[in-house]
Amino acid sequence: MNPKEVETGRRIASSRSGGWQPKVRPSTKMSDNAESPNEPQKEELHSPPEESMANEEKKKIDVLLKAVGDTPIMKTKKWAVDRSRTVQSLSQFISRFLKLDANEQLFIYVNQSFAPSPDQEVGVLFDCFGSDSKLVLHYCKSQAWG
Amino acid sequence: MSACLLGEESFRQCCWRFLKLSDRLRDGWSWEPLQGSEEGYMRKTALRSVSVNSGPTWNPHGSRSDKESPASCHCAAATEQADVDGTHDDLDPGYDDGVVSGGGSRVLRLEYHILYSCSYMAPVLYFRASTLEGRSLSLDQVWSCVHPSFRSRLQRSPLTTITQQEHPLLGQPFFMLHPCKTEEFMRPVLQLEREQHGQMNYILTWLSAVGPLVGLDVPLKYSTLQPPASPPEACLQPS
Repeated sequence: MNPKEVETGRRIASSRSGGWQPKVRPSTKMSDNAESPNEPQKEELHSPPEESMANEEKKKIDVLLKAVGDTPIMKTKKWAVDRSRTVQSLSQFISRFLKLDANEQLFIYVNQSFAPSPDQEVGVLFDCFGSDSKLVLHYCKSQAWG
Repeated sequence: MSACLLGEESFRQCCWRFLKLSDRLRDGWSWEPLQGSEEGYMRKTALRSVSVNSGPTWNPHGSRSDKESPASCHCAAATEQADVDGTHDDLDPGYDDGVVSGGGSRVLRLEYHILYSCSYMAPVLYFRASTLEGRSLSLDQVWSCVHPSFRSRLQRSPLTTITQQEHPLLGQPFFMLHPCKTEEFMRPVLQLEREQHGQMNYILTWLSAVGPLVGLDVPLKYSTLQPPASPPEACLQPS
């Protein structure tokens, strides 16, 4: 089946349902613009035609986000993320998602205790630390440095 | 809730473990003892090429540029062993993707020291930057080494974050990353490690988090390598 047709089918279904259904798919596509799960669906429109739920082409990886300490827990923890997405981009996404203040700092840790460089690609992290076909990332907020 | 502080002995043990990894990765860190005593600090010197244009983008060695950020230049880093006596005058670090914009660039010599603070019971990062000719850079000029994601936040509260201080052991002016928030941002991840009974290295975790603020690259391999055989004591001593 042409992946594009599959994707088109899903887009139509999403817009008809009028909402964002995180539980329909095992992993939610992470977009650049998503504010919260209750926002009108935007990310599907931007998803590339190669997107596959089985991630067979390995363009995306499954990321499981776990909150540390007093950091708010995201309602959606499992995301399908482009391999080329950087840690910084992911951090910005989570910060927007959690509506962090400007003076709050978000840390992301891989392997439970190592903060990868902001420019590190999540695909590389997955290759190094992925297990059970997913990458577990811990995130933690803190007041700014000063 | 116990504070997550680092005892001085633990600091040394963590540095010892960290240095073993650094040696394997040839990352250039060394231990500088204090007049034959057990005390000392860790030190590393790195070369970084930065654009002379304003609005530089920091792009560390080994990673592609982030497509979302407007990159006016690329900066590359090379590691220089701390005991090299300045023979690398022409920058040829042999990195793969070092691309420099046509606008011109210059090479900075960045020196990083990790000392232990008894007052805060935490490591403290000192650093200074100079050109290859030896001229020191001001704080304004070192902003180009701060990762863009941190730049605006640091500039909002610069005096309480990066300050110029006299190096406690050398007596020379260095920039220092203030340690007052270290315990606070380290606490959650340390508690996570305790719960999971992991074997983390305080110095490695801390350095990976603060490194991007000061243009210091801590390669991912530090976390993927097997830890070296170490003394049986736990690396972290709760207060």
